[in-house]
Amino acid sequence: MPTKDANAEPSFRTMIQVDMEIVSFLSNWAHCDYISSYLARTISHNRPDSVLFSNLFSSALNELLEVTFRTRHSGGALECRLSRLGETDRIELTFACSREEHTFLEDAIARVQGADRQARYLSSLSGDVAPSRDMMLLELTVNYNATLRLEEVDADTVTIVVDLPLGGLAN
Amino acid sequence: MTAHPAPSSISGRFKAHFDLNNQEFSLAGSVRPQTIDELAPSLGLLKESIESVRGVLYINVRRLAQMNNTAFHAFSRVIIDACRVRPDLRFVVITSSVVGWTTRKFGRLSKIEPGITVEEYDSEFYPGQSFLEEGGFIPILRTQTKMTWRHERSILPRHGMRPGIVMADICCGIGDFAVLVQKEFEPSRIVALDHSKSSLAYARNVASEFDITGIEYTYGDASEMLLDDDQFDLVTCRHSLQIFNRPAQILKELFRICKPGGRVYITNEKNSHCLGEPRGESIRWTYNEVAKLFEHFDMDVELGPKSRRYLADAGFDDIRVEQFMVTNLDGDPKDFADMIAAWEDVYAGDMAVKRGDSSEFIKQFRQGFKDHISAALHPKGYAGWPIWAASGQKPL
Ligand SMILES: C[S@@+](CC[C@H](N)C(=O)[O-])C[C@H]1O[C@@H](n2cnc3c(N)ncnc32)[C@H](O)[C@@H]1O
Repeated sequence: MPTKDANAEPSFRTMIQVDMEIVSFLSNWAHCDYISSYLARTISHNRPDSVLFSNLFSSALNELLEVTFRTRHSGGALECRLSRLGETDRIELTFACSREEHTFLEDAIARVQGADRQARYLSSLSGDVAPSRDMMLLELTVNYNATLRLEEVDADTVTIVVDLPLGGLAN
Repeated sequence: MTAHPAPSSISGRFKAHFDLNNQEFSLAGSVRPQTIDELAPSLGLLKESIESVRGVLYINVRRLAQMNNTAFHAFSRVIIDACRVRPDLRFVVITSSVVGWTTRKFGRLSKIEPGITVEEYDSEFYPGQSFLEEGGFIPILRTQTKMTWRHERSILPRHGMRPGIVMADICCGIGDFAVLVQKEFEPSRIVALDHSKSSLAYARNVASEFDITGIEYTYGDASEMLLDDDQFDLVTCRHSLQIFNRPAQILKELFRICKPGGRVYITNEKNSHCLGEPRGESIRWTYNEVAKLFEHFDMDVELGPKSRRYLADAGFDDIRVEQFMVTNLDGDPKDFADMIAAWEDVYAGDMAVKRGDSSEFIKQFRQGFKDHISAALHPKGYAGWPIWAASGQKPL
């Protein structure tokens, strides 16, 4: 499982990258849906079952974009890069955020990889409160077997790196 | 029956519906709200549904393509709460094997409340499935496609086939047609969809063995596909409308995924018009019986000449219909004979037996196939299998 710096893994091949101003991203909630549907369809063509892949990939990417949408930002750009190595597709979302958000994301990502994640997911499902960003990230590991990590680009910019092993799926 | 359209911000993307007769609440489309307030009407409908049923409420999510966690959580909450206050009530969530995430995700709910169960709907879609989908039919499909292709390669350009188009072959079977199309016409994209996992596995195997890339073999149900609206320049569906008990419903789906201005191309048979000489009478009798046999299983293998009506009723314009005859004189007569032998196996061997036909009937039934084979192989004989190719344009 890849855990090292992206530079040390030249074998992930970039397929597509979308950059936009964070303000314009935030101007409309539907951007999450548009971007995830569009990108999923674009990279699905050479998967064994393109429709199945695109359906799953779009679900996962949409949750990540929704998490990003709900993060407090400090302007700048949102970069969304998709790359591939074998059956794994990697999503990298890069944006500027406050120190506080940075710490939150770091903790959240550490929590969702814990051994108790199934149980935590179930208890968050039966809980009363609306799903938190934690739960959204948790769901990616529980339902999509995703691996998550956070990278610090510079003092106030982070990248959420998510590896999704969906490529080999077919009915 | 009540249907609530979704509120405008996410409108048109999903539908909630309650059917009291079947005690079924269904959600379809893509549900990705920002807040649960946007779901208020549908959540209200779910609560009303729960109040008006006894024993069991079916939650049909077969056509639910997308649902974000915000929405999933909101609907789940209502169901979980209902389990707690109504222990008399069971919830059965009906998912589809075609949508990748639903079975797993809704399945988690049964770990929280045992009153919630999940059933993946993957059973019989059409009446003849067990006859036609089992491995035995694969060699016939290969031979059939080889023989029809000699005609269709010159027919297809009159029905919208041309290089560079985006096309879909729905009910693609083992995918030979898609491969032939790709070589001959070089479309820019081909999606080939079928509901038989064994056929798709076969197709993917052939593709990788012969290093064919660019055909997207996809598992799906033609009567409710995950494919988006208005995507394809040409949608083909060959020899398949005739095996569904509700061909109009399939045609509606083909219409939906076709681009405005694009075309839907279908081929179908009229089995009672299969012919041969010598022994024309015996052959004719048997194929008349073939038509009745399929009718018994709710399939209409006489659909060919009805294509024009079906296309018109589905809303197509500029309808074109032509007919061609595959005969023993096209290529190797042995191919024709092999195809008939395979038909005899399935029709007389499986289907007639299943219908409970007498051995006398079956004997005579088989005779017509044998005579058809003799006609095909006879040095002066003639044997034919007529096919109707038709297409219509989706209005702009
Ligand atoms: C008679 S075969 C025709 C196959 C192919 N078009 C050909 O001409 O060789 C019918 C095909 O329809 C497929 N089929 C049946 N029900 C289906 C459904 N609900 N959705 C998609 N495909 C289905 C079967 O698996 C089978 O491959």
